[in-house]
Amino acid sequence: MKNHLRELRDQYAWSQGDLAEKLDVSRQTVNAIETGKYDPSLPLAFRIAKLFRLSIESIFVPGKD
Amino acid sequence: MSRPSVNRLKGYLLALVLVYVALVELVWPQVAGATSMPWKAVLALVMAAPLIAYIWVVGLRVMRGDELEQRVHLLSLSVATGVVAAVSTAGGFLVAAGVFRVDSGETLLGVFPALGLSYALARLLIARLYGGTGCA
Repeated sequence: MKNHLRELRDQYAWSQGDLAEKLDVSRQTVNAIETGKYDPSLPLAFRIAKLFRLSIESIFVPGKD
Repeated sequence: MSRPSVNRLKGYLLALVLVYVALVELVWPQVAGATSMPWKAVLALVMAAPLIAYIWVVGLRVMRGDELEQRVHLLSLSVATGVVAAVSTAGGFLVAAGVFRVDSGETLLGVFPALGLSYALARLLIARLYGGTGCA
């Protein structure tokens, strides 16, 4: 699954550490999501969407199966 | 679930290792000289106390990690458990077949370090799959 987390974080000029703190996760988890190595759970995806005031589907894009 | 509490747990783990090392130096030498069997049992169980506490704190650390950390911990634990089970089963059959002999007490004492080592190595590899270092 692809996502726009990196672009959104850049828009807010947040570091990975800043975003990690706001989401109460580790910086490694933010990095893994941004690089597409880990797909977040639905609750975490909702927290991310709420933080950026966007819908989940506008941040996360399904990849090819 | 806060990050500082995870860091505090890491401090507890280090403290428990230091307690264990101190017990190895101070208490374990007294076990051989103890004449009373109940006292000997108490001293032996005192040796296990910091390791049991260590397992408890590791459990707390896993519970307080975020979802990716929990996944990495649990995958690593699964791999480590499988490795130790496979090695102990193969070793058990070799001993039962009379290929070699081992002291059962010393072998049992080796289970925890073997599990810890396998866990650390598995965690290093699995964390790398997710772009981490496995050192956090």
